[in-house]
Amino acid sequence: MQHVAGLSGARAGAKAAVEVRGLSHVYAGRDGAVPALESIDITVPAGRFVVIVGPSGCGKTSLLMMLAGLRAQSSGTILIDGRPIARPDPERVGVVFQEASLYPWLTAVENVEFPLALKHAPRGERRDRAEAMLKLVGLEGFGSRHPHELSGGMKQRVSIARGLVQDPPVLLMDEPFAALDEQTRMTMGHELLRIWGETSKTVVFITHSLTEAVYLADEVLVMSARPGRILDRITVDLPRPRTYQMMATEAFGALRERIWGQIRTAP
Amino acid sequence: MRGGTLVLFRLALLAAVLLLWEALPRFGLVNAMLLPPLSDVLAALAHILGRADVHTALGVTAAEVVVAFVIAVPLGAALGVLSAENEYFGDIFKPMLFYVFSIPKSIFLPMFILVFGIGFPQKVAYATFSTVFIVIMSAAAAVESVKAEHLLVARSYGATQAQILRRVYLPSMLPILLEALRISMIFNFTGVMIAEMYASRVGIGRLIADWGENFEMTKLLAGVILLAAAAMAFNEAVRSLEARCSTWRA
Repeated sequence: MQHVAGLSGARAGAKAAVEVRGLSHVYAGRDGAVPALESIDITVPAGRFVVIVGPSGCGKTSLLMMLAGLRAQSSGTILIDGRPIARPDPERVGVVFQEASLYPWLTAVENVEFPLALKHAPRGERRDRAEAMLKLVGLEGFGSRHPHELSGGMKQRVSIARGLVQDPPVLLMDEPFAALDEQTRMTMGHELLRIWGETSKTVVFITHSLTEAVYLADEVLVMSARPGRILDRITVDLPRPRTYQMMATEAFGALRERIWGQIRTAP
Repeated sequence: MRGGTLVLFRLALLAAVLLLWEALPRFGLVNAMLLPPLSDVLAALAHILGRADVHTALGVTAAEVVVAFVIAVPLGAALGVLSAENEYFGDIFKPMLFYVFSIPKSIFLPMFILVFGIGFPQKVAYATFSTVFIVIMSAAAAVESVKAEHLLVARSYGATQAQILRRVYLPSMLPILLEALRISMIFNFTGVMIAEMYASRVGIGRLIADWGENFEMTKLLAGVILLAAAAMAFNEAVRSLEARCSTWRA
């Protein structure tokens, strides 16, 4: 996977990979305007792993859609890799969605190739690239399977491979492991950190799980209930590589407790 | 039951039915006037297949079926997609389509004769009318079967509208569309047959109606076998296409 690390490793400089300034969003509801997001400021330096947690309906997913250029905010600016994002730009942002986002009529490798096929990349080149990505996510030899022949964890590995196939500096992940069972979820978290280590992407990851948040993150952003605001920014200073044993430590528990305290007391 | 055994049992059942068809009238257990033996019917089939008027009738009927199909399917598909994609259009037209769909179409036959006269256009118009509703409903269902997250993924990777249509809508809808094609052919064929049997000068439906009225049971049954074979051939052809296109369905 040398070429993967090589392509984006150079980005791990000082420049912010994701920058959100004064972002607010209001949508038109049944009874007039509903404030959904309020004065959000986020700076994610290149190569960082940031996790956003918050109660259901706080606008985390909307925020992610805006970072992906899939939805427009009412006000404020978003810079990805130093430039505004008005529409989806797979060269800069890869998105990994919640469960079941693979195309069931395509094989695993064709799913991974999909973004390249949209750009009319040469057939051989995109197949090689997709196979390399499948190998990176630990699915070498599974390329010809259809999604219904893969387990939930394997499907999300394919989704991650698809998100990485164009080598974007930023990877956005919207509760990618929410539908998995506890054990698979732990394994996938660990695998994601390995992949992240090999590719040095900037990751913005949304989850409901506080344990997952602390385990994965360099920094955890805690959001309030609607309208979503950033209540707290918690730096997770646990050493890397993270291990399962860390979950039992006092430091891990204290971080988890601090996040829970924020969410619980949130208005 | 294993696949091989199952096929064997099915063939045995078919053989038994055909054998009974031959034996019962031969031994006088059923009236041979009402049910002529299979061998007689097959002989009649070979005979009518050699007749020029039957060739003409088959040609006319086939043309009616094909033209009505070629009109009804794209028309119905377009209306169905429109009613699923366009909220206003859908809200206005869907209930009406739904109610009209429930009406037996044959009660409109006299009106088709008044408007088009008896002939090719009337057959085509009536068959199109009998087919178009099921196509509309199926096409609308096919559009609604497209998953929102699949569209979102395509958009997030910068797909153009044309790419979304070709790479997401079409493959998502294909299994339902093929099934719709198969079922609409049943409606379409039925439409042409009813229109021909009700009032016409030419066509295989007309011949079958004549043979029935003249109590020519061997010819009537030969005609039935002929049409049944044609309908089954089309059905199986689309079904094998369906199976090939939806291997990904668990």
